[in-house]
Amino acid sequence: MTKVAMIGGGVSRFDVNRREVAEELVAQAYRQMLNDLPELETRDIDAVMLSYFSDHLNQQLCMGWIIQDYLGLGTKPGYRVESGGATPVDNIINAYLLIKSGYYDLILVAGWEKMSEVDTAKTNEFIAAASDTDWDFTVGGYYNGYYAALEVRHMHLFGETEEDLHRIAVKDHNNAIENPFSQWRSQHGMGKITLDDAWSSRLICWPYRTLNIANISEGAAVLLLASEKVAKKYTDSPVWIEGVGLGTDSMRPGDRLANWAWKGLYPEDEGLYPVWAKTPLTPYPEMSNFGSMRFAADAAYRDAGIENPIKELDLAEIFAPYSGVELTLWEDMRFCKRGEGKNLIREGIVENGGKLPTQLSGALTAQGHPVGASSIAMANHVFWQLTEQIPKVYGSKASSIQQSGASKALLQGHGGTGCQGGVIIFGRD
Amino acid sequence: MTEKSIVDKSALEEWITWARKGNWRPVGYRIVEAPKGPKLGETTTERYMIVERPHGVTYQHSYGLVSKFFEGLLNKELWGTVCPKCGTTYCPPRAHCWNPECKAAECEWRRLPLKGEVWTYTVMLFSATAFMEQLPFVLAYVKVEGADTALPMQLREVRPEDAYIGMKVDIRFIEDPRGELMDLYGVPSGKIEPPEHAALQRNPESVERLKKDLESTYAFVLKRFGRDNRVR
Repeated sequence: MTKVAMIGGGVSRFDVNRREVAEELVAQAYRQMLNDLPELETRDIDAVMLSYFSDHLNQQLCMGWIIQDYLGLGTKPGYRVESGGATPVDNIINAYLLIKSGYYDLILVAGWEKMSEVDTAKTNEFIAAASDTDWDFTVGGYYNGYYAALEVRHMHLFGETEEDLHRIAVKDHNNAIENPFSQWRSQHGMGKITLDDAWSSRLICWPYRTLNIANISEGAAVLLLASEKVAKKYTDSPVWIEGVGLGTDSMRPGDRLANWAWKGLYPEDEGLYPVWAKTPLTPYPEMSNFGSMRFAADAAYRDAGIENPIKELDLAEIFAPYSGVELTLWEDMRFCKRGEGKNLIREGIVENGGKLPTQLSGALTAQGHPVGASSIAMANHVFWQLTEQIPKVYGSKASSIQQSGASKALLQGHGGTGCQGGVIIFGRD
Repeated sequence: MTEKSIVDKSALEEWITWARKGNWRPVGYRIVEAPKGPKLGETTTERYMIVERPHGVTYQHSYGLVSKFFEGLLNKELWGTVCPKCGTTYCPPRAHCWNPECKAAECEWRRLPLKGEVWTYTVMLFSATAFMEQLPFVLAYVKVEGADTALPMQLREVRPEDAYIGMKVDIRFIEDPRGELMDLYGVPSGKIEPPEHAALQRNPESVERLKKDLESTYAFVLKRFGRDNRVR
């Protein structure tokens, strides 16, 4: 089977209001990508993956048709994959599988989201319609509430503190200030923040303050995947997709106390359940961890031949709409054992300059989170890292963010409360 | 195959006006100057027209095979389901067991006691519009006695800084249930004794800080809605 490469991409910056319409934002990102791939004839693109989350945010069904037509790719096959927050990562993985199967050679993955046409409270409500609307939705927590409750469970079992969460927020926001596509920089400029700023940001739902929470954003991002055969026609520095994995878990997090599909799957993690805590029927992931992402990561590591992620990976972009999700996912990605996520931030392992920096783009809480585009923009960040183009794309001052010599990176994405998602391992020759 | 109406408390007549009023036609517009372009530092300025299009709709949604749970709420009863094969008790109920061993066996109904324990929770200090006047509130996942899964609900009659994982609760119903999950809520049952591991109370500074943050929420709700939501 052919190898699959990412050969280019582009981003149209993330901000709370982008007044261009979705197709124009995608066109801006597409132009940037075409500019970087002078040998590419757009007629060579075989198919388009269309990545956007919500129809009701914009009162428009089949938005993908508008996008594809606008880019002049109207005759080509087009697919939409929609899975909440997992939408963009699922689109990338689907494009990968289509090329891997030998059916297509060149696929454009186009992602966008316009999330500010309704007010913030309504946007939260529309997003929460991705939770079970007969049950979780009704009691008024929405994703802020669900994720905070999951984090309180993790704190209770494994002992991380509010300060650990704020350290993560500081790290991610300070990474984002060099990023010219980031919402944080657009709204707050290039000043660094400190722990005090995190502590004094507004408490939304304990333990999460505004700096721990993803932005509501608008923006777009595209990337191009190619088979080995055609990749070298367009670039000398492809970034290979070396492994992918997908996983799912229950819709309602409360059901995970007795989710029989997990029973016995991860005995080591079940064993790490604190002895003093009341144990549910299925102790991993229960409500503290993201089992779907463990399942996906293990498949991706298997494909990529990775045995010791923290040693073999050079950077990771994690889908963390809340600071605690980042910490928990370090465990589920096997960067450390279950319950030890707190040590990775305390010891600086995940900081820029540490052994395995995470969220060098700023990711969801600081780069921004226009759902259909988020993981595609993070994939672009990974691509620019592995091809050493960060200073070129971000500006020369951003060289502090460039991980010199980096050759392997992980991208993880998910939707709901970890209901579905995927992991991709990128590597360069 | 026809259906027969047994109870009809439809309110569609009242809401149809509202749906007709918001029918996607622009009701207003603005013209703004805003940035154009994909990258900070390289943007230009453009004029944009923004129209306002309201849209109203009412869904007629069936609760399906777990309708009994919601009808139970109307009668102030709590129901769960039990798998006849593996014995797992579900609340929220499932009409079919999800244990792979049970091959989608049909579950049986069981009346559950109005008691439970907080499995996890959060304190909401900001919310969607519909819940704004109830702020601050505790949102908890409660494992009902005898059930193996956790049911989300709000906790009342407890100061937010006193809630903890493991707290025993009694489940109560609002006066006029409407057939939705908000018809029930939890209140602390017995003594409030956070365990040493309690995520919040293990650090007294965290408790103090939360109390301070809550003050501004109480003040906001009092000013905006005239409601004093303090629990005394």
